[in-house]
Amino acid sequence: MPGPGPTYASRAGILARRAAPLAALVAVFLFQTILNVDTVVVFPLYLGAVLMGAILEERLESFAVAGVAVLALLFRPLMASGHTSEIGPAVLLSAVTLGVGTVVNELTRHSRSVAAAAQQRVVELSAAERSLRATLESAGVGLALAGLNGNWLEVNQPLALILGRSRDELFRTTLAEVTADGDQAALRDGLALLRSRDVMSWSADVHVVRPDGAVLPSALLIARLPNPPIGDATLLVQVSDISARERAQSIANCVAAVRQVIVSSSAVDAAMPQLLEAFSGYLGWSVAQYWAMDSETHTMRVRNAWNTGGPILEGFLHASRGMSVAFGSSMVGRVWKSGVLSAEEDLEKASGDERLTAARSVGLHSAVAFPIVDSGEVTGVIELVSDHARILQDDEVTRLATAGVEIGQFIRRSETAQALKRSEADHRAIYEHSPFGIARISSGGELLEANPAVLRMLERDEEAMRQTAWPELLRAYDQVATRQRKAQFLAGITDGSSIQVRAATSSGKWLWLQLTATSIPDANGRPEHVLVMVEDVTAVRETSDRLNEALEAQREANANLERTDRTKSEFLSIVSHEFRTALTGIQGFSELIRDGGLESDEVHAYGGYIFNDADRVNRLIGDMLDLDRMESGRMSMRTTDVDINDVLMEAISRAAPSAVTSEFKSDLDARLPIVAGDRDRLIQVVSNLVNNAVKYSPEGGTITLSSRVDGRFVLISVSDSGIGIPPEEIGHVFERFRRVRSGAAQSIPGTGLGLTIVKQIVEMHGGKIWVESALGHGSSFHFTVPLSPEAVKAMQQLQHA
Amino acid sequence: MREVDASGFKVLVADDNEVAQRLYKRVLEKAGYPVLIAADGLQAVDLALGQRPAMILMDVAMPGIDGLEAMRRIKAEIPGMPIVIASAHSMASDRERFLAAGADNVLSKPFQLHDLISIVEQLANPK
Repeated sequence: MPGPGPTYASRAGILARRAAPLAALVAVFLFQTILNVDTVVVFPLYLGAVLMGAILEERLESFAVAGVAVLALLFRPLMASGHTSEIGPAVLLSAVTLGVGTVVNELTRHSRSVAAAAQQRVVELSAAERSLRATLESAGVGLALAGLNGNWLEVNQPLALILGRSRDELFRTTLAEVTADGDQAALRDGLALLRSRDVMSWSADVHVVRPDGAVLPSALLIARLPNPPIGDATLLVQVSDISARERAQSIANCVAAVRQVIVSSSAVDAAMPQLLEAFSGYLGWSVAQYWAMDSETHTMRVRNAWNTGGPILEGFLHASRGMSVAFGSSMVGRVWKSGVLSAEEDLEKASGDERLTAARSVGLHSAVAFPIVDSGEVTGVIELVSDHARILQDDEVTRLATAGVEIGQFIRRSETAQALKRSEADHRAIYEHSPFGIARISSGGELLEANPAVLRMLERDEEAMRQTAWPELLRAYDQVATRQRKAQFLAGITDGSSIQVRAATSSGKWLWLQLTATSIPDANGRPEHVLVMVEDVTAVRETSDRLNEALEAQREANANLERTDRTKSEFLSIVSHEFRTALTGIQGFSELIRDGGLESDEVHAYGGYIFNDADRVNRLIGDMLDLDRMESGRMSMRTTDVDINDVLMEAISRAAPSAVTSEFKSDLDARLPIVAGDRDRLIQVVSNLVNNAVKYSPEGGTITLSSRVDGRFVLISVSDSGIGIPPEEIGHVFERFRRVRSGAAQSIPGTGLGLTIVKQIVEMHGGKIWVESALGHGSSFHFTVPLSPEAVKAMQQLQHA
Repeated sequence: MREVDASGFKVLVADDNEVAQRLYKRVLEKAGYPVLIAADGLQAVDLALGQRPAMILMDVAMPGIDGLEAMRRIKAEIPGMPIVIASAHSMASDRERFLAAGADNVLSKPFQLHDLISIVEQLANPK
């Protein structure tokens, strides 16, 4: 130790010690001299001083002291020279003094060196112990010496820290007392083995218990030290805190278990208890609860819970189950809000969370809550509660946060899958049970799938549907689409475009199917396949067809009515025009006659005009009435046996007198059978045709009448070589007031009703009438009259004969 | 009936009915108007353009082109030519139809003679 004080003091001490024997000699000498005491008397005093020097001093110093003592002893005798008798004893005494001093000095020196050696050893020993203790204290592990029964003898500070006690407290416990209950049996066995020297060292992973109840996993190594020469045998106890290693292992195991659950589960509700069990079991939490968000109330409620059992947990679990946590309130709510893990080592300090503070009072100690996160959103919280103090380490925090994200993704995946499954099941059900046919068609036009409705509709199985029925439908679709100028099925796949096609069922029933195609795009927006809705619209279509027919008929009837109406007013207009034209002459000339002042030949001529027009008016009225009777079926026929040849001859004889320029020829079948008919009407027909032939042959010419049998009819023809009928008029000659008035025919008079009446009469007889004509080359009118039944019979008999 | 010296006011009558032609000719010539007769539409157009009558009495229902077509053709050439449609189509709608087609006046058949005369006089002596 540096410092002048102590050094000086020791030097002063050394000087004092060295001076002391000499001072003693001087004192004795002075005492002898002053008191004049006999040397023998004071000799013990001298000897004592020498001894003192011999003991205290180094060899040189002790000789010096002895020398000084010898001088002092010899001084009186020598001074009293003469007293030789005194010299002898003095020399003897001096010799004794020297001898004793030397011996004592030697003895002293020897004993001193022995003591120094001993001292040296002590110093060395204590240094060794200090270094050993320092080593003990600075060791990273807990070290202790213990008795064979596990009673602590020495403990180092790390061990005290591991065991959570001060050394003094520790000395009041034993190794067994700080070991968890579960490990005590093993420990007892270990100690027994060590005691019996069966083993010299024993090790095990055990849990040590702290006073606060915390359990710490530790590696325990106990070695029996060699027996000391004296005292009891001791044990070296090494305790290392392996909680970090254990924790890391637990966390790794927990994470592996969580992943295993996530990978192997599909439903959240099935997986969550396993996940909670993994957290609870691997990480040593008494309770694990999953708080899920209730999106309707926007609160969180416990959906799943796991606990290690025990009555103290029941109350807590019950309290948790009944609770709705609001956003931001209580630990769970705060985690929900912040999205980060929150831990409370001591639930007493869980401010504002009555549930957790109440849990503390029933023995629960620590809690941690971490969020279940999906895409940055907190969807739930997992809460872990421990019945002992838990300090969360960084790696645990990291792992739990990661687990929260993984679980969040899992929940989302699972719910999506669940929803998909549900939705797919729904769609499948719709697809299967839909009354509408639904078919899925590839982009190449092949049928991929057809629902039962389609198959039922067409009475096909799926294979027949694929092979024949669908390709037929597709062809029909394209045909109709082309007709309607729509896109073909594969070319256009126009969304939602409907086309109705005819399709046969396998039993040959024809249906109307309405096909509505919708393209379903793939992820890239390209049409991947086509969904075709197939509806049986047969009933609709047939109804609408019937409706259309009815409508068409109605329209037809309306059109007929309109036509009739128009015909009627046209007829009226034409008739009134005819009448007024005739009346123009009648009225004008009769007015002239009435006003007088005319020449008599004028009156004669005008009277003729008036008469002719009046006659024409009369004929018009007669024709019109005839026609009306015929058309309305009110004209009666007086049917008798009629000889057509006779009719033809009669007509010629009537027409001939006024047809001076025409030549009549007849080509009659002499064996013409009798027909059944109205003779007068038939004469009217032929006369009319003959009169027309005359009228339209202004240059004259030959008019030929012929008759012959044609099957069951008599065919009559009246041909002229007149002006003919223009081609555009030939189809209209039998219509009322349809008179050819162009060209050469323009001044030929007539009512315009003659041929209409003729046609009516022929048809009333059951015959037909038609005309052939070439403009400028005359016309031929032909008509037929059926033979009478008797005539037909007679003819057949004739043929048989 | 007044006797008017209307010589030079030539009336073209277009009518296919011979009796009507005679009536017009008799009445109008007696009234002093020279009369030209056309028996159909085309003839009426030819005479109208060739003879330049003072006015035309035009029937409608005639062979070939009808009176209305003839009137259209004549008016295309001689816009100021007075044309009176004289037709047995004498319903009210017909009258409108003829006037709309460009007729200057309409005479319905049958007519009283003084109506015929006064229509012609109106055109012969405009006020």
